[in-house]
Amino acid sequence: MQPLQPSEKFRFLYFTDLIGMKVVSSEGAPMGRLADLVAVSGEPYPPVESLVVRSAGKLWQVPWSSVESVNGSVRLTPGTALEPIPSAPVPDRLHLGQEILDRQIVDIEGAKLVRVNDLHFLETKGQLRVAHVDVGLRGLVRRMGWQRPVDGVVSMFRPAARYLNDEALLSWKLVQPIESAPGRVRVEATKKALASLHPADLAEIIEDLDRHQREVLFQRLDVGTAADALEETSTELATELLEAVPPEKAADILEEMAPDEAADALSELPGPTRESLLRAMERPEAAEVAELLEYHPRSAGGLMTPDLVELPPEATVADAFAEVRRRAEELPLVYELFIVEGGQLKGMVTLKDLVLAVDTSLTLTSILREVPATVRDDASVSDVARAASKYNLLSVPVVDEFGSLKGMVTVDDILAEVIGAA
Amino acid sequence: MPPEKRQVRPGRWRQVALFLAVMGPGLITASVDNDAGGITTYSLAGAQFGTKLLWTLGPVTVALIVVQEMSARMGVVTGKGLGDLIRENFGVRTTFWISVALVVANLANTIAEFAGVAASLQIFHVPPWISVPLVALGVWLLVLKGSNRVVEKVFLVASLLYVAYPISLVLAKPDWGEVALAAVTPTFQTDGAYVAMLIGLVGTTIAPWMQFYQQAAVVEKRIDVDELRYTRIDVVMGCIVTYVVAFSIVMACAATLHRQGISIQTADQAALALAPLAGRYASWLFAFGLFNASLFAAAILPLSTAYFVTESAGWESGLDKKWGEAKQFYWLFTGIVVVGAAVVLLPRLPLIRIMLVSQIVNGMLLPFVLIYMLRLANDEKLMGVHRNGRWFNAVAWTTAVVMITLTAYLVATGVRDLVTT
Repeated sequence: MQPLQPSEKFRFLYFTDLIGMKVVSSEGAPMGRLADLVAVSGEPYPPVESLVVRSAGKLWQVPWSSVESVNGSVRLTPGTALEPIPSAPVPDRLHLGQEILDRQIVDIEGAKLVRVNDLHFLETKGQLRVAHVDVGLRGLVRRMGWQRPVDGVVSMFRPAARYLNDEALLSWKLVQPIESAPGRVRVEATKKALASLHPADLAEIIEDLDRHQREVLFQRLDVGTAADALEETSTELATELLEAVPPEKAADILEEMAPDEAADALSELPGPTRESLLRAMERPEAAEVAELLEYHPRSAGGLMTPDLVELPPEATVADAFAEVRRRAEELPLVYELFIVEGGQLKGMVTLKDLVLAVDTSLTLTSILREVPATVRDDASVSDVARAASKYNLLSVPVVDEFGSLKGMVTVDDILAEVIGAA
Repeated sequence: MPPEKRQVRPGRWRQVALFLAVMGPGLITASVDNDAGGITTYSLAGAQFGTKLLWTLGPVTVALIVVQEMSARMGVVTGKGLGDLIRENFGVRTTFWISVALVVANLANTIAEFAGVAASLQIFHVPPWISVPLVALGVWLLVLKGSNRVVEKVFLVASLLYVAYPISLVLAKPDWGEVALAAVTPTFQTDGAYVAMLIGLVGTTIAPWMQFYQQAAVVEKRIDVDELRYTRIDVVMGCIVTYVVAFSIVMACAATLHRQGISIQTADQAALALAPLAGRYASWLFAFGLFNASLFAAAILPLSTAYFVTESAGWESGLDKKWGEAKQFYWLFTGIVVVGAAVVLLPRLPLIRIMLVSQIVNGMLLPFVLIYMLRLANDEKLMGVHRNGRWFNAVAWTTAVVMITLTAYLVATGVRDLVTT
């Protein structure tokens, strides 16, 4: 390690370089070895608050403000004594070696899980702050204590190797520790960061975590993000996660979810739990979901969503546009709009038909086309898939025995079923 | 919500259903345990020493249950693989050396599996230079392109072939009183061959990959802490299956080969143990069994090695990832399969030596794995109320110490043999 020159304003240090370093008094008398660093977790770049020092087989702590210099050894200011570690854990503190190093964290930018190989600190103005986490191969080599020889060999053969020039450092701001508390100040930032992930990526990260981490992470999500993520996970996992949060939150999440996905998740829960969650949900959503629960999960009824655009024949093209805009938020995938009269399905128009209509005051009756295929609510997945494929439908309308429209199965759900069964 | 769930005691049928749902990891691990190396060692033990080594199988099975229960419990409680736990609790250096040892040990084991493939298909007159590359390709495709669940089921059903040994044993009409006595009477000989065989039996029955594989399988099944006791039943049943199969192979060989004074030189001779059941088709039956066992293990060993290394290093892993996303994972798997198969095809290959090397590396790795497991299973932060109890620890440490002593001896004599031969 380079000695700190007075002219230097800052320098970078690795956790690997610091850990195990001798801790000495201002006179140079050995006091122990550096065992861990404790940082305040609330800030964007957490400052190290204290050192954990191992001395005679016991752990002690020293505030970072008592460190005079770090230069091959940690030299403390005159009169500094080792203090006992408080028996009750202090909130919002991160034991970096214990809680972050070697653990999995979420890389928000890359939208995946990574393992922390090393921590990268910025030392400036007497403060040591966590700047980056190292998730690269070089971090592993450094931990093995082989950086010098390995770097030497690699630069001899391939000076331009990615290994040497491409440090895999992720900014602390762009990662999310999972198992340690984010700190009260950062709870909102954490929620925002996680919400910025695509729900499908978030779902994959959740799938990759172990049960404990998964529950911790899930509890940190806001209701909307949690609902989006659950729609993308397997039903089995969605069920497990719903059981991990308090019932009121579970009910809120279920309300936010597409009714067909919510019904799937509920269908796997034990009966009493399911009933109590349904009761805790708002009335209209609960009723929709309860109706879907009646169907076999792999039938058209189980796959369908009741959220579709239903219009009377006398409505105009302009009305249709207005209706789509009004309900855009809650609608899943929308392409086909259905014309219903007296409960009976009369026909459909596609968004393309609406866009191409010469006049927005035309009634739908004048441009409506026949519905090429409907499926009964007890039809199998393959029947639904066949109908969608044969007639190029993005959503297949589902009718009951009396021919009245109950909902539609969208092509994304069909694909998920077909791929899942393969 | 969970407390409410726990108060409801499941009825008997629900219990059976719960068990069937969590069943698998223990039974599958146990089935893979009877791989090419296992069948060979058990056959040799029976042919060479008759019933004299039969008694060791009991204590070995108890030790196996203790070790495997611990691995399953850690998987259920922490939801993490053994590799993850070792990395998170013991750091990079420890993980690195365990990874290296595991890759070497599992590579050597894989070579042994392909040797098993070659030997079994030779009985059907398929030369190794055809059978081994084809099977390697088949294993590769099966794992990477096939559906895991289906593959597991095929192998599990195929491992029912082992029933052939107990049946053959019954048909050989051994003196059952003698068998029962031999099963529980410890005999000890000090000659080198006997001790070596004893250690071989232990080493082939309790191998390090089993703990890693089983814990990963438990984690992947997402078994809940509530279901821990069903997982325990699964583990114990698996170990008992291992015991019954090992016992039957040793006994069947003792009742046939040993009685007739035949020493095993080729797979055809080992197959004679099945003659009471299958007559002249014995060698076919044996070949089927050996082929299935080798194939199953040749698929699972490279896969679990790739999982361990990539997960603990923090690289992307899993069959649901694309090749470009999880390069290290796929290359490791492919590398072990290709090298394992290629080595078997080398002319004048000292196969026995490779088996010896694989047993030595397994033996060297096992004590470390056991000690790390014991430390983890006793960690209160990690395991909470499910950490090892006092008397469980006593049994587990005794097991570890005995295993360490035996494997130290195995490694010492193995290295000596390697140097002197």
